[in-house]
Amino acid sequence: MEEDELLNQENVEKRLSPHPLSFMGLQSLCIFLIAWGLIFGWMINFSDFRELFENVLLQIAVWGLVLLVVSIIASIIKVMWRIFFLYLSVVLVALGLIWWLNLFDAIGLFLPVYTVIVSIIGFLLVELFRRSHKYIISNQRIVFKGGVITKEQRTLRYDKISDVNTKQGILGQIFSFGTIIPISQSGFGLGSDQSFAGGGAHGSGSKRVGLFGFFGGGREVQTPRTRSYYELHGVYPFKEIRKMVEQLVQGSEISQYQKQQVDFQEEQRDFQEEQRDLQKEMKDLLKKQKNQSKSKEE
Amino acid sequence: MSGEAFDVVVFAPLAPIFGLILFWFIQLIFIEIQKSLLNQLRSSHDALIRFTNFIGIFFQTICHALGYTLTRSGISSFYLSVDYGKVDPKKKKSGVFEWLVNMFLFVGPFFLPSFLLLAYFFLLSNDAFTIMAQSEFTFAENFIGFGSNLFGFTKDLVFFLGSIDLFHPGHLGFFLLFILLGLGIRPSYIGKRPVKKVDMFYDLKNIRYNILHKPVYVLIAILGAYIFSYLNVFFGQSLYVSMFSFFGWASILAIFALIYAEVLLFWVYVLDDLSVGFRVLTLLTLPLSYILLRILFYLLSWPFAAQIGFWGSVSITVFVTLMLLYRLTNKFKTLLSMNSIRGTSGGKK
Repeated sequence: MEEDELLNQENVEKRLSPHPLSFMGLQSLCIFLIAWGLIFGWMINFSDFRELFENVLLQIAVWGLVLLVVSIIASIIKVMWRIFFLYLSVVLVALGLIWWLNLFDAIGLFLPVYTVIVSIIGFLLVELFRRSHKYIISNQRIVFKGGVITKEQRTLRYDKISDVNTKQGILGQIFSFGTIIPISQSGFGLGSDQSFAGGGAHGSGSKRVGLFGFFGGGREVQTPRTRSYYELHGVYPFKEIRKMVEQLVQGSEISQYQKQQVDFQEEQRDFQEEQRDLQKEMKDLLKKQKNQSKSKEE
Repeated sequence: MSGEAFDVVVFAPLAPIFGLILFWFIQLIFIEIQKSLLNQLRSSHDALIRFTNFIGIFFQTICHALGYTLTRSGISSFYLSVDYGKVDPKKKKSGVFEWLVNMFLFVGPFFLPSFLLLAYFFLLSNDAFTIMAQSEFTFAENFIGFGSNLFGFTKDLVFFLGSIDLFHPGHLGFFLLFILLGLGIRPSYIGKRPVKKVDMFYDLKNIRYNILHKPVYVLIAILGAYIFSYLNVFFGQSLYVSMFSFFGWASILAIFALIYAEVLLFWVYVLDDLSVGFRVLTLLTLPLSYILLRILFYLLSWPFAAQIGFWGSVSITVFVTLMLLYRLTNKFKTLLSMNSIRGTSGGKK
C-alpha cells in the first residue's frame, strides 16, 4: 500500500502474502501431471511391459484416459469441475498438436515431455497467482489485494468484522501458516455447502397402469469460505497474525466494562447537571429573598 | 527325557523371541540416535522437526485406532495434528482387550509402518523372503533358522538398496516411503506446552507398565508361543520361526530406513554452516547429478547404469559438500586453527 493510500492516523502493522506452500491444492494438480508424465515415459519406453504399448493409439488413449479419470475423481472430491476442464484442455491441446505436427511416430517422447512442460507452466502460473496476493494489516483496517490481470481489492474495517474464522491444514501446522477469514456483518466471507438428494420411481402394471413418483430434498449449510483474494490466505506466522487481527478487532469494539463505564459517566454527568440546576435555583431564590427583605426595609 | 528333548520343550521356543528382542532393541537405539540428531536441528529446522513428528504421531494414532478396531471397541473420535493424536473408543473395554489396545499403541508403531513397507518390498523383490527348513527344532536350530532368514532378507535388501533404480516409479516410491518411515518411525514429542518428550525410556516405561500391569496376559502370550512351537515340532513345520522372522524382517527394514534417514539428517546438519544459496546448490546436486549420470550412461549404453548412477551421484554430492565446507567454512579448522581461537585461560576467545 502506497503512502497516499493511507487514511488519517493510519499505520501499517504488517504486509503479508501467502506462504509458497499455501496453494498446495493447485500445485498438487501440477505435481500429478509431472509424476504421470514421468511414469508414462518410463512405462512406454523403458519398462518390462513396454511391448504392450506398441500401438500408438493405445499409448494416447492410456495417457489421456488416466488424466481424465483422475481429473473426474479430483473434481468430485473438491466439488470443482474446473479441474476436469483444465485436464480436458491439456488432453485436447496434446491431441491437436499430435495431429497438426504429425507426431504419431514420436509419441513416446512427445507425450511425456509435453506433460512435464505443461506441469512446469502450471507451477509458474500458480506462483504468479500466489504472488499477486497482497494483504495489508493496518491499525484501522485490513486491505486485501489480488489479481493477475484484473486487480481486485477489498477493504474491511475492524468494527465491521463480526467473526474471525481460521483454518490450518497439516502442511500449515508443519510450516506455521494458515488462513484467516474475517467475516463481515453483511456476511461477506461466508459460502455455502449444498447437498441434494433425489429419487424417482416408475412402475407399470400389467393393465397398463403407469405410476410415477419423484421425491427430493436439498440442504444448504453456511460455512466460512471465500476467494483467496478476500481472506488472509496461508499467512505466516499464522498464530502471531491471528492474535494481531483478533486484538485489533477487539480494540475497535467497546467491551462490557467500557460500556458500564460510559453509562456511569453519563449518570454522573446528568447528576452534575441536576446539581448545577439546583444551585442555580437556590441562588435565584436567595437573590429573590434578598430583594424582598431590601424592599421591606425601604 | 534326553537333553535334546529338554532343549526342544523348554529352551527352543525362546530362541526367536530373544532374536526378535535383540533386533527390536537395536532399532530402539537407532531411533534414539535419530532423536539426538533431530534435537541438534531443532533450533534451525523447526518445520523439519514438526514434519518428522507428524509422521510419528500419524503411525502411532493409526496403530491405536487399529487396536480399537481389531478388539471391536469401535472408534467414536479420531483427532490428528502435528503435535498430538487421540483416538476414543465407542465402547471402553477392559481386561485383555484393553491390554491388546495398549500393546498396539506402545509396540505397534515399531512394526506396523515396517509391515507396510515390507509388503511393498515383497512386490519388488520376493526372492528376499526365503524361509530355512528345520528338522531338529532345538534352541540352536531355531536361532540359526531365525538368523538365516534375517541374513537372506538383509542380503537381498542391501543388494536392492545398492542397485536401486530411481527412474523406476516403483523403486522411487519405495525409496521415498523408506526415507519417510526412517524419519518418523516414532515422534520426538507429544503435546504443545508442556511438551512430553518421547524417547527410548518413555517407550520402555510404557511397555514395562503394560507387561507388569497384567503379567497374566504376558504369561498367556508366552504359553501360546510355546504351544505354537510344539505344534510346529509335531507337524514338522517352520512356521513358528517364520512368524518371528516376519517381525525380524520388519525390524531390519526399519533399521536400514533409520540409517538412511540419519545420514540425510546429518547432511542437513552439516549444511547449516553454509549460506542459503550454497545449501540449495548442494541439496540440488544429488538429484541433478543422478539425472545427468543416468542420461549419460543411457547414451553410452553402459552396464550397471542404475548402480553407478546412484552411487556416483552420492559420491559427487559428498565431494561437493566437503569441498564447500572446506572452502567456505572453518568446519575442518583449516582457516583458523583451534589453538588460535583458544584464550590464555583455555576457554574460547
